[in-house]
Amino acid sequence: MSAMLRAENLHHRVATSEGPLTLLNNISLQLARGESLAITGASGSGKSTLLGLLAGLDKPTEGRIWLAGEEITAMDEEQRAALRARCVGFVFQTFQLLPGLTALENVMLPSELRGERTAAKRAEEFLARVGLEHRLHHYPRQLSGGEQQRVAIARAFASFSGGDGILFADEPTGSLDAGNGDKIIDLLFKLNAESNTTLVLVTHEQRLAERCGAHLRMDAGAIATADTLGDNDNLSEVSV
Amino acid sequence: MLPLKLLFRDWRGGELALIATALVLAVTCVTAIAHFTDRLSRAMEQQSLTFLAAERVLRSSQPVDDSWLEEARKRGLQQAEAVTFASMVAAGDQFQFAAVKAVSDGYPLLGTLEMRSAAGAPSRHVQQGPPPGEAWVEPRLLPLLELQLGDNLELGDTSLKVTGLLDREPDRSTSLFDMGARLLVHVDDLPAAGVIQPGSRVQYRYLFAGDDRALEQYLKWLQPQLTEHQRVIDLHEGQPRVASALDRAERFLFLAASLAVLLASVAVGLAARRYGLRHTAYVAVMKSLGAGRSKVLAIYLGQLTALTLMATILGLLLGSVIQSQAVNLMADFFPVEPPPSRGSPLLVGLATGFACALGFALPPLFRLARTDPMQTLRRDWSNPDRREWLGLVLGPTSMLLLIWWLSGSLAITAALFAGMALLVGGSALVNQLLVRGRLSSLGGAWRIALGSLQRRAAFNTLLIAAFGTGLLAMLALVFARTALIDEWRMQLPEQAPNHFLFNIAPHEVTPLQTILADKDLTSTEFYPMVRGRLTAINGIPAKEYKQDQRNGEPNALRRELNLSWTDNLAPDNRILDGEWWDKTDKGVSVEVELAARLNLALGDMLRFSIGGLEVEAPVASFRSLDWNSMRPNFYMIFAPGTLEGFPATYITSFYLPPEQKLLVNDLVRNFPSVSVIELDKIIERIRDTIAQVSLAIESVMVLMLVAGVLVLIAGVRASIAERLQEAAIIRTLGGRRRLLLQSLMLEFGLLGVAAGLLAAAGAEATLAVLSQRVFELPFVFHPTLWLVGPLAGALLVGTAGTLACRSSVSQPPLQVLRELA
Repeated sequence: MSAMLRAENLHHRVATSEGPLTLLNNISLQLARGESLAITGASGSGKSTLLGLLAGLDKPTEGRIWLAGEEITAMDEEQRAALRARCVGFVFQTFQLLPGLTALENVMLPSELRGERTAAKRAEEFLARVGLEHRLHHYPRQLSGGEQQRVAIARAFASFSGGDGILFADEPTGSLDAGNGDKIIDLLFKLNAESNTTLVLVTHEQRLAERCGAHLRMDAGAIATADTLGDNDNLSEVSV
Repeated sequence: MLPLKLLFRDWRGGELALIATALVLAVTCVTAIAHFTDRLSRAMEQQSLTFLAAERVLRSSQPVDDSWLEEARKRGLQQAEAVTFASMVAAGDQFQFAAVKAVSDGYPLLGTLEMRSAAGAPSRHVQQGPPPGEAWVEPRLLPLLELQLGDNLELGDTSLKVTGLLDREPDRSTSLFDMGARLLVHVDDLPAAGVIQPGSRVQYRYLFAGDDRALEQYLKWLQPQLTEHQRVIDLHEGQPRVASALDRAERFLFLAASLAVLLASVAVGLAARRYGLRHTAYVAVMKSLGAGRSKVLAIYLGQLTALTLMATILGLLLGSVIQSQAVNLMADFFPVEPPPSRGSPLLVGLATGFACALGFALPPLFRLARTDPMQTLRRDWSNPDRREWLGLVLGPTSMLLLIWWLSGSLAITAALFAGMALLVGGSALVNQLLVRGRLSSLGGAWRIALGSLQRRAAFNTLLIAAFGTGLLAMLALVFARTALIDEWRMQLPEQAPNHFLFNIAPHEVTPLQTILADKDLTSTEFYPMVRGRLTAINGIPAKEYKQDQRNGEPNALRRELNLSWTDNLAPDNRILDGEWWDKTDKGVSVEVELAARLNLALGDMLRFSIGGLEVEAPVASFRSLDWNSMRPNFYMIFAPGTLEGFPATYITSFYLPPEQKLLVNDLVRNFPSVSVIELDKIIERIRDTIAQVSLAIESVMVLMLVAGVLVLIAGVRASIAERLQEAAIIRTLGGRRRLLLQSLMLEFGLLGVAAGLLAAAGAEATLAVLSQRVFELPFVFHPTLWLVGPLAGALLVGTAGTLACRSSVSQPPLQVLRELA
């Protein structure tokens, strides 16, 4: 199976008033299409930074990353944005829905940014798939936390313009109670399986990490352990 | 399409309403003020030109060549003629000197004559003089000649029927030709009258009006042909006092429009900054969904353009409606109906809309486009002000360029720049003080208020600058208006002398003083006057003496001067150098500007020729005086004891109330050799015009004050969300409502005091430049400004801030937090 995501020798440092601070230190990994990876670790261990770099939101100080077969570390910001528009979806801990837009308009946004004429139809389909076909014209403030996260998931899947897709989720259940969190996770994995997308998620929750095919535990910006969890045989694709 | 779609969605969500409201406000204010000032200044110009009864007047002591008038007609100019001279008129056995004015058809070209056809009838405005064979007279001429309306009077060899009483003429002057009661006749009656003989003292006035360009071209053609006895007069020469008042008023209105731009820019800047901050999360999400920097920029530029266009159109409409309503409301106060609106103020509004949008809204949008998408993961929505220089440079530059274009005055632009620079520098200083202040010793509301100020020190710098700008604009305008109106009032006090008596023989002084005293009339001193010629300076004959001859200044060496002497220095006279007669008993005191033109120094020896005799006197002092004081004034005042041997006449001036006007007739009858110059009609007209100008200034000021208050509200709104959240959290933790209310009042009050103090400093600097460079008034320090500034700041900002945040205190904290989330 070909790699959907690959990173080699990633290092990331930022300048602070007390000198350079190393956020990531020598990270390498590889993930096949359709598989899932959980990144866990204590607060400040560098997991969100790694997620951002893998998704092309920022560039590492050193190292190389390939996403959907293209080297994003060789791209400028515009090219990375164009790649994200094609095949990257995001789910955030605090949903990040735009408050001035309805549920439907929030889900339409990625398609509209790509200039697609069928944005509304596609958004309606995705909202139906997350069970919110009756909440199309509600604003985020009129939705519960669980509903907002479902809108965010619909938006994330609407971000793929066909072909390969990779979904990055940053603490997707972090703002939800246990019951709603479970429902959201079920939904996320269900859609992931249906769409054959690749999933990278950052979480604190062990039970969520256990549902992923691969698991990286981070400590102080480095990979502490890399395990196969469950009966997934793709651990070999994750190299430390 | 996408920008418009997002614009619509944003609008519906209420986000864009902030920036749109500020833009509409900016364009509305500037358009309304630009319209208003344009119409008022044109009305004032029209009104003022009626002082000449024309746009330009050619004054000549001889009739001009007919070809000159023919040329004017060929160029499409309107033209009329007025001939003025003093002449004896008779009715039966009664004879009286009258100031005759013979006018052609078409006179007056501008303005109107006010006349009555019957003694008790109301005065009406007419645009032509009497037809041939008829005469209109000033009412006081009737009793002097024992005439009734409808009777005939004799002017030279012709008899004219008196058909009207003349109450007012637009271009009455103060010259010798206009001494005495007015008799207005048609110019065609002059040949038959035969009163103008070779050598008669006559002034011919040729009036022109018409298309500005054609008039300018004609005068260009005419000027080289003029002799030294002919001059073209415009308002500045004809009525310098009115011209100066109008010039200053016009500059004031331009200043007001410039300040409106300044205020509008601040409002847009604040709103755009808030919009930028609130959209950081929006853009970070869009970027994580695949929108690149160029896409984000295209979306927001598209939105901004569409929004600016819509807001500008709305602002133009609102501004036009407001100014038209304002003019309608004040119509009764204006003697001249302001001319209709024209297009140029709309252009000003349009330029303001786009300059504000580009200068102030663009930099926050550029910053937005640079938003780091990683912020979605960090959940940090601060919008670091990197490359803030763009905002710091682009905004003020576009604003200053707009003000320069609008006011056409580098001095106004520089004055506002100086005031703003002082304000921004001061704000930065206040920021430092806030950051370094220690709060440990403070308790209760003070601690919360100052803590809040410290936490937002950087934003508070901006807020103080914004509040300060609003207050600066208001203070500068109020104080400039006060200075101007006070200056005008001082120039023409209520009981300024309005009649001059001269040619008074020495034996007539005491009887005249008695009459004036009997009638409770206060006159100035009776000054002796001797005519003399300055013939040599330090032994150099006047003909060989080189002087600084400024354009249009009287040549003091080639004409006779009125020489006087007195012990008492008149109230408007001031010794600038040298000594007055209380310290020295010989010499001559010279008016300072004449002394400068003659390059005189103290002690220079002046030789005068008086009635064939020569008198020498050293320059004892230089003296400033106010030629507009309506008092007799002299270039040369000698020490008492120098000129007493020469035959002198006396001159004085006094205030005569309108109800005692017929006293002039008694004076003319009882003192036939005394000449009377009546300035009451002119003063009345000047006062009317200045009252109109003052009203214009007051009304524009009110508009500006409203705009200033709106900016203050915009400033408060820009900072409200964070404060509401903090207040709700404090209440959740058990903070009492009263404590919170006090801390809010303190916080905004302190911001207001700081802004008010800085605004006072900025306004003082602005007024210093304005008064000297723009209004040509002496610099005056304004102690009240330093009191009013902080007080007004504390009151306005404190009240607006507390009112805006009161919901955080009155609503349940959970509701506030939910709404803010």
